[in-house]
Amino acid sequence: MAKRLKVANPARCIGCYSCMRACARTWYNTISLKNSRINIQTKGGIETPYAQIVCHACVDPPCMRACPIGALTKRKGGGVNFNREICDGCGKCVEACLMGAIHLDVENKAVICKHCGVCTKFCPHDVLEMIEVEDSGEVKVTDTGPVSPTESHKELYGKKEAEEGESGKEKAEEGESGKEEAEEENEKKKAERGSGKKEAEEVK
Amino acid sequence: MTAEKVITTTEKYAIPGLTNVLYLDMTDRSYSIVDRRDLYEKYLGGSGVAVNLMLEEYKEGTGPLDPEMPVILSTGPLSGVYPTCTKTVALFRSPLNGELGESYAGGHLAMSMRFAGCETIVIKGASKYPLYVSVHNDKVRFRDASSIWNLSSTIDVGKIIRDVEPGAGRRSIIRIGPAGEKGVKYASVNVDTYRHFGRLGLGAVFGAKKLKAIVISGDQEIRSPDHTAYKKQYKKLYDTIVKTGLMEKYHNLGTSENVLVLNELRGLPTRNLQGTSFEGAETISGEHFADNYLIRRVSCAGCPIGCIHVAMLKRPFSKAHEYETLNISYDFELIYALGSNLGVEDPKAVLELIDACEKTGVDIISMGVVLAWATEMLQKKKISTEETLGLELNWGDAAAYLRAIELVVRAPNEFYAALGKGVVYASKKYGGEEFAIHLGGLEIPGYHTGLGNILGLTMGVRHSHLDNAGYSADQKAFNKEMSDEEIIDMLIKEDDLRCMLNSLTICLFARNVYTYENVIEALAAIGIRKTEEELKELGRDTLKKKYELKKKFGFSFENLALPKRFFETASTTGMLEEERVKKALELYRKKRGL
Ligand code: SF4
Ligand code: SF4
Ligand code: SF4
Repeated sequence: MAKRLKVANPARCIGCYSCMRACARTWYNTISLKNSRINIQTKGGIETPYAQIVCHACVDPPCMRACPIGALTKRKGGGVNFNREICDGCGKCVEACLMGAIHLDVENKAVICKHCGVCTKFCPHDVLEMIEVEDSGEVKVTDTGPVSPTESHKELYGKKEAEEGESGKEKAEEGESGKEEAEEENEKKKAERGSGKKEAEEVK
Repeated sequence: MTAEKVITTTEKYAIPGLTNVLYLDMTDRSYSIVDRRDLYEKYLGGSGVAVNLMLEEYKEGTGPLDPEMPVILSTGPLSGVYPTCTKTVALFRSPLNGELGESYAGGHLAMSMRFAGCETIVIKGASKYPLYVSVHNDKVRFRDASSIWNLSSTIDVGKIIRDVEPGAGRRSIIRIGPAGEKGVKYASVNVDTYRHFGRLGLGAVFGAKKLKAIVISGDQEIRSPDHTAYKKQYKKLYDTIVKTGLMEKYHNLGTSENVLVLNELRGLPTRNLQGTSFEGAETISGEHFADNYLIRRVSCAGCPIGCIHVAMLKRPFSKAHEYETLNISYDFELIYALGSNLGVEDPKAVLELIDACEKTGVDIISMGVVLAWATEMLQKKKISTEETLGLELNWGDAAAYLRAIELVVRAPNEFYAALGKGVVYASKKYGGEEFAIHLGGLEIPGYHTGLGNILGLTMGVRHSHLDNAGYSADQKAFNKEMSDEEIIDMLIKEDDLRCMLNSLTICLFARNVYTYENVIEALAAIGIRKTEEELKELGRDTLKKKYELKKKFGFSFENLALPKRFFETASTTGMLEEERVKKALELYRKKRGL
C-alpha cells in the first residue's frame, strides 16, 4: 500500500520547527532548517497561524513535467522520486510547483520531500501524518470513517476509539519501511525510528 | 528508481561550538565580527560569556543610560541544536535599580542568532537619531528608524519591519515601544510579539541608544562531528520533553496554572500584597482562561512544548454588533500583576490591561506593582487626585488602570514621571515605602510564599523568580518542616545549577530535563567535553562574577531594604519576622563567602 505525507491539521501547528529539524537531521546530516524538505512559515509573524509548506504528492506532478532531463519521476503514492546525480540545478521544478515545496540546496540540487514520514514522528501536535493512498496517489475512499483518511480526523467523526487510533498510527510507521526502497535507506529509517514503536505505546 | 542516500554537500559547516561576537557601535554605525572562541571555550556561552564580556567592557562609573554602557545579548552552544534551548540572555546595567540587569527572552531570537553565526552581540554607543539594525548572516546594516519611532504599538513595529526585511519565518525582530523611547525605567524589549526581555528596563537602554529594533536571521548550517550520537541524544531529549510528564504543566494550562495553586496556598499577592488570596481567583485562573479565551498555543523556535498561550478577546465597539478581536498572550505573572494585585477579577479586563502594556512595551510585573502602590497611596490619602490628574484608582477598576498605564508612559506631570521610575523612586518621593513591594529595587513577582522566596529574590543575582528556587523551597517547607538552613542550602544548590543552565541558555521550564547528566551527554554529542565538576565550577564562577559586577554597580548588603508589608501579610508558610529574614540573609552570605 502506498503512503504519503499529509499536513492533516495545519491549524494545530505551534511553530516548533521539530519537523524541519528532523528532516534536515535525517537526510542532510546537519543541524539546520535550511535543507529541510518541509518548510514552516509565518505569514505575519507568530501572531498569525503557521503555514506548512511541503510536497502534497501530486497525482500528476507538474514538477516532473517541467524537469527537462528526467531527474524527477513519478512516485508510487503521488509526488516524485528524485535523481540527485543527474539534477543540474536549472530550477524549472521550483517554478512549476505552486506549493513552493521545492528549493535548491547549496550545490544547486533540488530539495524535495520523499514522503518518508520521519517528520511526523517529531511533530508534537498531530499536524503531520502519513496516510494511505492508492498507488496512483489518489485518495482512498473507504466505507468507514471520513473520506479524508487521516487518523486524527477519525476521532473528530467519532468513528474510532483512541486505542485503535494509536495502533493505526503504529502500523503507519511500520509500513513506512517500504520494500522497494534501497537498503541504506531502510537502515536509516530504522535507526531514526529506534525504539519508537515501543515508546508510542507508553505515551498517554 | 534511485536510492537516495544521505546527502553531503560541499558547504562549509559552522563548527558545533560557538565562535563569534558581533560588536555594534551605534555612535558611528560601525560593526565588527570578532572570533572569540577563547571565551566560548571557557564559559560555554549565555550568561557565562556575557558576564565576562561585561567585565571586559564596563568602564568604572558608566551609568545605565550612558552611551558607553554596553548591552550584551548571548546564546549558548545548544541553541538551535536541541529542543527547548531557546533563550537569549541580555546583560546590561539596569536603569531601574542601577544594578546588574539580566533578562531572558525566548521567541525566535536564539535560533536566529545561532544560524546567523553571531552567537553573541555587544551593543555600544548611542545614535543621534533612531536606528534599527538588520543582521542577515554576516551582513549588517544600520537603518534609519525615524519613521517608526513614535509608533504607538510594538506590534506595528514588527509588522512594518517584516515587510521591509527578508528572512520570513527564520528571523527574529526585537523592538521597543513608546515606553522604551520615553525612558520608562522598566520598559521592556518585545521579542517576536509574544516574548520579552521584560525585567529591569532593557527597553529604556535601547531607547537611550536610539535603538528601535534589531532584526536578525541566518541560514548557516551546523554539523556535529558525531552525527549519530547527536541524533540519538536529540531523540532522547525530545522524548523526555514530549512524552513524559516532566513538562506537562507548561503544555497544558501553562504558567497560569499557578493562579489557583498559589491562591490555595495563600501565596498569591493580592491588592498590593494586603492579602495572599483573591476572591476573584476563579475567574482569572488558568483553567478559566483556557476554557473561555485560549485559541492557540505557540512555541519558541525549536521547542516542542508550545507554552505561549494566546487568548482571543472579542471586544464590542458599537451597539450595532461591531467587534474587534485581539490576540493576547497571557502568563501567570501577568495575571497576578494586573489581576489579583490590582483586585481585577474580570478576565477580559486583565487581557485588555495586558494588551495595553504589550503595545506600549513595559514590564508588566513592575507596572502592576507601581499601580497597586499608587492605588493604596490614594486610599490612604497620602496623595490626592491632584497628583493623578483627576484619576481615581480603585481596586478592580480596569478602565482607570488602562488610562493610568498610558499616563505613566506619557508622563504629563511629576507624579506620573515618578511612577515611570519605579516603585522605589516614587515611594521615596511621595511616601508609602512600607508598602512599596519591591526587593532590591525590583517590583516583586507573584509569590508571597515565605522565607525562601524573599531570600531568593533578595540574593538571587537578577532578583528573578525563575533564577532562584525560593518559591519551590517554600512549597517544600510547607509540606514538610524544613529548617532555615536547609532552605538556604537548597537555594544555593539551585542557584549554581541555574547559573550553569543559563550559560547554555536552556529554557528554565526544562530544567528538570537538562540534568547534569543530560547536559554532559548533549554537549559531548556535538563535540564539547565537560565534566560535571567543570559545569558546577562554571555555575559558581559565573555567580561570583555577577556579584563582582553587582558590587561595581553599587550593590551592598548593608543597603538592602525589606519593606514592612512583607512582614504584615501572612505568607504560605505563615507570618515572617524581619529578624529571621535578616539572620537567614547573613547565613546565606556566610555560606557563599560574599
Ligand atoms: S513537489 Fe510540488 S509539483 Fe512536485 S509533486 Fe510535490 S507538490 Fe506536486
Ligand atoms: S516526509 Fe521525510 S522527506 Fe518529507 S518532509 Fe518529512 S522528513 Fe522530510
Ligand atoms: S513539528 Fe508539527 S507543530 Fe512543530 S512546526 Fe512542524 S508541523 Fe508545526
